[in-house]
Amino acid sequence: MLNYLIKRLLWMIPMLIGISLISFFIMHLAPGDITASESAFNPKASEESRQKLRALYNLDKPLTTQYGLWLKRIVKLDFGNSFASHQRPVLWETKDAKGNVTKGMIQDALPITLMINLIGLLIIFSISIFLGVTSAVNQNKWPDRLITIIVFIGFAVPGFWLALLLMYWTGVTHSWLPISGLHSVGYEKMGYMAQYVDLFKHLILPVSISSLGGLASISLYVRNGMLDVLQQEFITTARAKGLTENKVIYGHALRNTLLPLITIIGLSIPGLIGGSVIGESIFAISGMGKLFFDAVLMRDFPVVMGILTIGSVLTLFGNLIADIGYAWADPRIRRGISN
Amino acid sequence: MYFKYIFFLLILFNVAACSDKKEIAYNYEGTFNNEKGGTLIDAMSGEPSNLISMIAGDSASSAIAGNIFNKLIKYDKNLDLAPELAEKWIISGDQKTITFHLKRNLKWADGHDLTSDDVLFTWKLVTDDKTRTPYGSDYKLVEKAEAPDPHTFKVIYKQAYAPALDSWASLQILPKHILKDEDINHTFFSRKPTGSSYYKLSQWVNGEKLTLEANASSVMGEPNINQLTSRFIADTSSQFLELIADNIDLMNINPIQFARVIPSRPDLKKKLALYKELGNSYTYLGFNLKHHPFDDLRVRQAINYALDKQEVIDGVLLGLGEPVASPYKPGTRWSDKALHPYPYDKNQALKLLHEAGFSDTNNDGILDRNGKPFTFEILTNQNKQREMTAVLIQRRLKDIGIDAKIRVIEWASFVNQFIKTGDFDAVILGWSLSLDPDQYNIWHSSQQKPGQFNFIGYNNKEVDQLLEQGRTELNPDKREKIYHAFSKTLLRESPVIYLYAGYGLTAMNKRIKGIESPAPPAGISYNSYDWFIPSTLRRNEITP
Repeated sequence: MLNYLIKRLLWMIPMLIGISLISFFIMHLAPGDITASESAFNPKASEESRQKLRALYNLDKPLTTQYGLWLKRIVKLDFGNSFASHQRPVLWETKDAKGNVTKGMIQDALPITLMINLIGLLIIFSISIFLGVTSAVNQNKWPDRLITIIVFIGFAVPGFWLALLLMYWTGVTHSWLPISGLHSVGYEKMGYMAQYVDLFKHLILPVSISSLGGLASISLYVRNGMLDVLQQEFITTARAKGLTENKVIYGHALRNTLLPLITIIGLSIPGLIGGSVIGESIFAISGMGKLFFDAVLMRDFPVVMGILTIGSVLTLFGNLIADIGYAWADPRIRRGISN
Repeated sequence: MYFKYIFFLLILFNVAACSDKKEIAYNYEGTFNNEKGGTLIDAMSGEPSNLISMIAGDSASSAIAGNIFNKLIKYDKNLDLAPELAEKWIISGDQKTITFHLKRNLKWADGHDLTSDDVLFTWKLVTDDKTRTPYGSDYKLVEKAEAPDPHTFKVIYKQAYAPALDSWASLQILPKHILKDEDINHTFFSRKPTGSSYYKLSQWVNGEKLTLEANASSVMGEPNINQLTSRFIADTSSQFLELIADNIDLMNINPIQFARVIPSRPDLKKKLALYKELGNSYTYLGFNLKHHPFDDLRVRQAINYALDKQEVIDGVLLGLGEPVASPYKPGTRWSDKALHPYPYDKNQALKLLHEAGFSDTNNDGILDRNGKPFTFEILTNQNKQREMTAVLIQRRLKDIGIDAKIRVIEWASFVNQFIKTGDFDAVILGWSLSLDPDQYNIWHSSQQKPGQFNFIGYNNKEVDQLLEQGRTELNPDKREKIYHAFSKTLLRESPVIYLYAGYGLTAMNKRIKGIESPAPPAGISYNSYDWFIPSTLRRNEITP
């Protein structure tokens, strides 16, 4: 087992280099650089100053040199600073001589995105499992049909459209929920509990919208997995023993159904750090999706590369964790690895 | 089982609904007295990048920094130059020296004196090669700058440079005592500035909001509104929902919201006031003058006659714009009232095209010359208004037998692969209606290298000469004559076709009082420091 782990971890190094190489060159295939942003199209801004900036950021050097420089920094875990005029560090905060702390861009955006996605994932899984089991138990009866229709509608409805409708309904006509942002304007002056309630209320809509699309696939996984399991002989045995139907389904069948879900959870780890650009824009949440999108539009290479690198590391770890989780849950696979 | 779930959801909703805030009935009408205090909340689409405006390039940064820092001189409500930190400025007889006399007792927000030394320091910064500013070139023309005493700042140019005053009306003065040992490109000052103007920064939450509060030692006097909060909301539909839910006080709106949505809803009309002001830019159709047949004056004029500008304004802006006949803001002295846009005249267009040798020889509905059909591509970037404009142009051109195709391209690719390489036939883009009339960088024949701004390749000796003259003449009356002549030639030559200058549209909650309407040339915000919020109309500052 340990051997297997070490081998997998070592394999990640060439994989990461390969991924970063490809992303670096693809990124540079897109025309333009930071000096071509729309605000730079200003007759008061001279071409010399743009050239100066290009030289400063090594954008005038050959691509291979630029990649070498990037690689040299990244092995020291230095993600660099943004090219944008705020020059903020890409990953983590820095402190200047006077003790002023500049927060990192990913450091700011990641917790927000993680929080929304984790809550979303939790909701998706708990609701999907419930829906999937209900569907499977009532296969081809009306609850099954109804659930399928509902989850597919949820899957098909454009999120931004539903988001705007819900924002209008809950925020403008009724003022039940806040419309956008994560905190109210007077957040700092609130008490401790009030702050939590405030955050909770701000999260209801974004989390619901982001979960809605995920329900369909997971609940169908659960439904089909459950149907498979229910056909098997040990279920018949369990029923023959005289167990209650609830025990058969939740105690025996569900546990076996959940096995493939481990893979899905593992694969959704990298997705946890990626936010939806549209969702974040509409709800005015400054998460990873918007950070990445803006960085691509601005050709802010250090930020793009930083997010891609962290994303690929997480993907590789997610795969590894999925495999390990599988081995932990399923003795057949455990034996396969040890051999 | 299902019922349990539904019940749970209902409870959730009820928890949320408990805080249902009571609709407060404000009485917006009546007369109110000027009073201090209150908070104005607005929405910004982008977050400021850096509050040192010589380094930041984005409009959000300059909007915020403009509330914090002062310049030597400014543009007043009629867009004439007026004193700000300097009480007066004197131009020498040879027009090469400008002497600014600063007001007395100027203070930074931290209590230090603001003197001409700070101005000199700022000039040194902006011209320093190490400073990452794209705006240094105007200031590098200064041969010598000096601060002979704390209230005098003197600049001497190598040769008379007319846009100099405009450049001093845009340079925000920075405090030497804080920045003298700092690296301007990386200093934390850009996130925690100390200025001298109406407001100072009180809080900046990344990705969320920025709050300014009145600066007690402001050199400009105290503003009425005590606090300005800008929330960063990228999506304009969300901004609009926040506006009508009374969570923000003002935002820029689009023509549909201005002309259709708000007027048709009595509840919105009751609490929102609408303002329009002429914006600072115009949209044009520009030709690549190095490509056939756009090198032919008759062809350009024909297309100018063939386009119905009012139709574009009505269709794209719902009438909320003005046609322009020069690259200057209508209503300012630089814009010549005697000039009028080309009228829509299809027959004149056809006549000119025939003179240029175009006719439909093969009867396919498309004009041709020497066996080649008149077909070209209009490029524009991803901008809804420009895309709609392109479609209207395409239709009008088809009327006279020109086949135009439209291509919409992402901005960075647009600039790098088409503009810089000169690989385009025609573009729809915008230029600013600059406050200073100098447009040397856009129209002078020497400015055609890749990356420079005369990318359409305009080359006219007379225009070159006028532009050079205008740059060295500081007398406004003489300049006016020069730039009127320049505008006239430009209009006749039609290297670009002026399409429209759109209005800036603002919706503002009626709790904000003291706004001048109709807007003066500088726009409604020129006196935003005199706006006030009557205490009876203020929103509950904390709504937990």
